[in-house]
Amino acid sequence: MTTETTVHVDGLTVRHRRTTALDALDLRIGRGVHGLLGPNGAGKTSLIRVLATVAPYRSGRLELLGVDPAVPAGRTSVRRRLGYLPQEFGHYPGFTVREFVAYMAWLKEVPKAAVPEAVERAMERVGLTGRADARIRTLSGGMVRRVGIAQAIVNDPELLLLDEPTAGLDPEQRVEFRALLRELGTTSTVLVSTHLVEDVATACTEVTLLDEGRVAFCGTSGELAAAGDDDAAGDSPTERGYTAALRRHRSARAASPEAAV
Amino acid sequence: MTPSLVPLYLRSRGLPGTAAALAVLLAVSRWGADRLVDRPLFDSGAQVPVVVLVPVLAAAVTGLSLHSRSGELDRSAPLPWWRWRGAHLLALTGLAALWLGTAVPGDPAHFGAPTLVRGVLGFTGLAAAGAALFGARLSWLPPVVYGGTAYLAAPRTPGGAAAVWAWSMQPGAQPAAWATAVLLFAAGAALVAVRGPAADGVR
Repeated sequence: MTTETTVHVDGLTVRHRRTTALDALDLRIGRGVHGLLGPNGAGKTSLIRVLATVAPYRSGRLELLGVDPAVPAGRTSVRRRLGYLPQEFGHYPGFTVREFVAYMAWLKEVPKAAVPEAVERAMERVGLTGRADARIRTLSGGMVRRVGIAQAIVNDPELLLLDEPTAGLDPEQRVEFRALLRELGTTSTVLVSTHLVEDVATACTEVTLLDEGRVAFCGTSGELAAAGDDDAAGDSPTERGYTAALRRHRSARAASPEAAV
Repeated sequence: MTPSLVPLYLRSRGLPGTAAALAVLLAVSRWGADRLVDRPLFDSGAQVPVVVLVPVLAAAVTGLSLHSRSGELDRSAPLPWWRWRGAHLLALTGLAALWLGTAVPGDPAHFGAPTLVRGVLGFTGLAAAGAALFGARLSWLPPVVYGGTAYLAAPRTPGGAAAVWAWSMQPGAQPAAWATAVLLFAAGAALVAVRGPAADGVR
């Protein structure tokens, strides 16, 4: 379960040219594994990028790990304590796994003496110790994704932002990854954006469902599953809850566009 | 053994390959300049194609080296990037100016080595500004477009307003042309150091 709030989002609005990606979004997230669900274009990646301090926002207020990232000193402090895996993280094919994870440890300003141990530990946690000296260009897509996860956790982040982390992982790797998520969530705030509802059902303590830049549902994964009804499409309780919550949100917006949450 | 940051940064930006490309450019420009000097009716003006084209190519190579494959991750890192980008640009510009400045024989008052060094400064400034505005992969566009336009449109008589807008085509001893080139370098370097290269294909 979540404890103190580590991510405060108030009235966050993000626009891409004429499209509103996030529409006056309010959100509170604490320690634990928090799932971010929603259809394509719902604003999941926009939210993750703003929280990762790599994208600007038009209006609203953010507080991450107790500091304001709009202030340069606060932004630097947050970035040291942040782990981030974008959808496409852009690796260097000629680097070995160890070199890439070490490079990211340096960029995160992990203290010099701690870098070797941090790198070994990150590779071990994603099961890549045996491939530490393999060049990234020789790895499969799933292994490259695990390299991405390793770089995201190399600084033992207090806030970990993962955008579609299980894309490309095989079923066994996904099961292992969910276990890793649960372990990370005991000490950190983990926000996982995903299309895979079963990842949320098994690994996340809380879920936020976005639709057209607004929050359509916020609660525990159990509450999302319970939100489903027999009319809702889906093969599992969580999928039925997902479609039912989306349907209710859209109906409410259609009936009263300003009142819908 | 865990590698340290400097060699990883150099490899991440492909800087060994960039240095090799500059070395090839040095050899080609020296060969081209020597062939021009050996011509029976040689005058310094005959070197104009070399002293314009070579700095444009050097600037393009330098601009491309600013590209990062992990730009999204770089932007989320606390590292003071402006220092790294500034040092990166200064080191490559210095290397290019030093190497290429030794390549072209001729009268320094006309189109010799100083003109080439001035070109390296000005065109690199344009490439750096291009990287900040359009992304490192398109950083070659401003020096190529400007360099080509100035080469075709500059008046034959030096000085006047052309010393500013066609600075790259002026003989070596034009103070206004030097001032323009230095200003372009300072502005472009500052812009890319502070802002960083624009993202390629950001959502």
